[in-house]
Amino acid sequence: MSSKVDTATRLRRLFAILGWLVQVGEAPIDEVAARFNLTPAALVADLEMAACCGVPPYTPDELLEIVVTDETVSTRVGTTLSRPRRLSPGEGLALAASARALLSVPGSDENGALSRALSKLDTVLGQVAVAVELDSPEFLDEVRTASSSGQRLTITYYTATTDTTSERTITPMSLFASEGHWYVDAWCETAGSLRRFRVDRISAATPAGPASPDILAAGAPGPDAAGGSSGSGGADGDADGDQARLIALGAYVPGPESRRVRIAVDESATWLLESIPSAKPLEPEGGRPVWEVFVGGDAWLERLLLRLGPAAVVIDPADYRSLAADAAARILERYQSAEI
Amino acid sequence: MAKLDPLERITDLLLVLLDAKRPLSRREIMLRVPGYPESDDASRQGFVRDCNILKSEGVPLVSSRIAGDDQVGYSIDAEKYYLPDLALDADEQAALNLAVAGVHLGDPTGKEALSKLGMGGQWPVRGAVQPLVDLSLSGGLVALPVLFEAVRSKAVVTFTYRGEFRTVDVAGIRFRGGHWYAVGWDRDRTDARIFRVDRIDDIPQPGDVGSAAFPDDFDPDEAFARSPWNFGTGEALEVDIAVDAVEASRVVTELGADSVIERTDDGAVVIRMSVTDVPALVSWVMDFLDHAEILRPPEVRAAMVERLGDYSTPGAQR
Repeated sequence: MSSKVDTATRLRRLFAILGWLVQVGEAPIDEVAARFNLTPAALVADLEMAACCGVPPYTPDELLEIVVTDETVSTRVGTTLSRPRRLSPGEGLALAASARALLSVPGSDENGALSRALSKLDTVLGQVAVAVELDSPEFLDEVRTASSSGQRLTITYYTATTDTTSERTITPMSLFASEGHWYVDAWCETAGSLRRFRVDRISAATPAGPASPDILAAGAPGPDAAGGSSGSGGADGDADGDQARLIALGAYVPGPESRRVRIAVDESATWLLESIPSAKPLEPEGGRPVWEVFVGGDAWLERLLLRLGPAAVVIDPADYRSLAADAAARILERYQSAEI
Repeated sequence: MAKLDPLERITDLLLVLLDAKRPLSRREIMLRVPGYPESDDASRQGFVRDCNILKSEGVPLVSSRIAGDDQVGYSIDAEKYYLPDLALDADEQAALNLAVAGVHLGDPTGKEALSKLGMGGQWPVRGAVQPLVDLSLSGGLVALPVLFEAVRSKAVVTFTYRGEFRTVDVAGIRFRGGHWYAVGWDRDRTDARIFRVDRIDDIPQPGDVGSAAFPDDFDPDEAFARSPWNFGTGEALEVDIAVDAVEASRVVTELGADSVIERTDDGAVVIRMSVTDVPALVSWVMDFLDHAEILRPPEVRAAMVERLGDYSTPGAQR
């Protein structure tokens, strides 16, 4: 990592280091270097340089107070560069939203440290109406408890892609909220593999005893290590360790068994496709937008086509062309057989 | 002689501007900050570059007209530069760190904010970050901070939303169902409106601080509480829908237990909801395939049947 880092990045890093040093007072060089991902030599060079900065006439009392010894570095509270800087609107939003998100997780401690931190932030940022709503499906508590205590659960689960209900015994591993829903990644004994379940599709859950230590040791599923999908759009930003886990957050990752379907739609309906992570626009045909989606089960595509409206047409595969009409007919039957 | 490190020059520039009691001209700055080239052109370029870096790092550097030959002066508003002391204790700092680590925003802004508060670098995360919440801002990333700031500074904003120009007094922003929304008073439509932030076509333009104005009876919470089928201007209808056991849990999670007017032993429910936008309701019910059925009133049931009939000829234009 000896490539040249630009001045803006170095300046930002210097601010971060000084701001942190103020909090801790004095710290070993090795620890600071590791924390900010620098070599000890580069850290010392930057801090010694900063120690020489100041305003004319550059007498010691006008210089930044940074002390570098053989082993440690320290700075003084309240010097020009080490006082905290005002947050940008984006940064204020990010902090407020993150804190509110965790506070809105059902069962969070409303009077805990995070609440106190948030109210201190509010006094500085101004009380801005940022709210985060997460749904609270009926069995969230059961799943969370099982996940944190290493217990198995027997659940009744509705699989929307195939429109079937089944009973399974699972070992919940990691619970997360994404795209407005709660999901749990779990070892499924019925399937004999890791599976992702949407918590609001669990219609019954009962404890089923302690989980096998082997299963727990295998840990929560990481990102799809096989690197299956390039279609669901690479994740952005976040450079560090949790990135791997976050890629796995996408609610639907096209698997090897999923089918690629091309759909021609009206321009007015493309917003619906834009909200599907794995959907991608292709070249228009006959003046109409064409999108590709990956389909894991017929029921999922039925829903999508019905919501896109009758103007949406499956181009291929051919056996899906009548899917929407068939689904509509099936629903209509319910209305005709029970005319009120 | 070795060239001066650009980081040293820019740090000196920042310190000089923060220390100055009045705007300084470029000439005055050159006298105080070492490291700029001799030639006028090169030093001007270097100075402009440094100013741009400071601005990109959020330093409130402004230029203003000053008396004398130099005409333009540069200054940093210290009020806008420093954050008042938050006085977070160790527990609160750790909680904020966990929040930023446990919430995925799709960009590193949260971590940069922590850096500014003296919580930079890699924090050891104690135990698994559990649970994790994804609030991804992708798509709405540019518009959202502008809207946030507009709420804060009570400024009216203008933007294009799905092809239409809007002038909106924004009252709040909210994350719901996987998306960010802004609620406000739409001046042209003279009604409360909710906007999905990732569908705003451009970057919203804020008006003057304090320019936002709301009618006395405007209630953002009430507007947020409205569901898609409650945004029409139609008369409110009471609609009953039968949902079988397969989808009952999902519907009750979404609408709340209060909406249930009937439960059967097999787990099916009948829910009652108030609707002003029938097409929006029909589209929502469609998502339950044959697990849901609109029972009454007859005109809403008929709208569902008619919509389903449209699919009998594939590709038919409505």
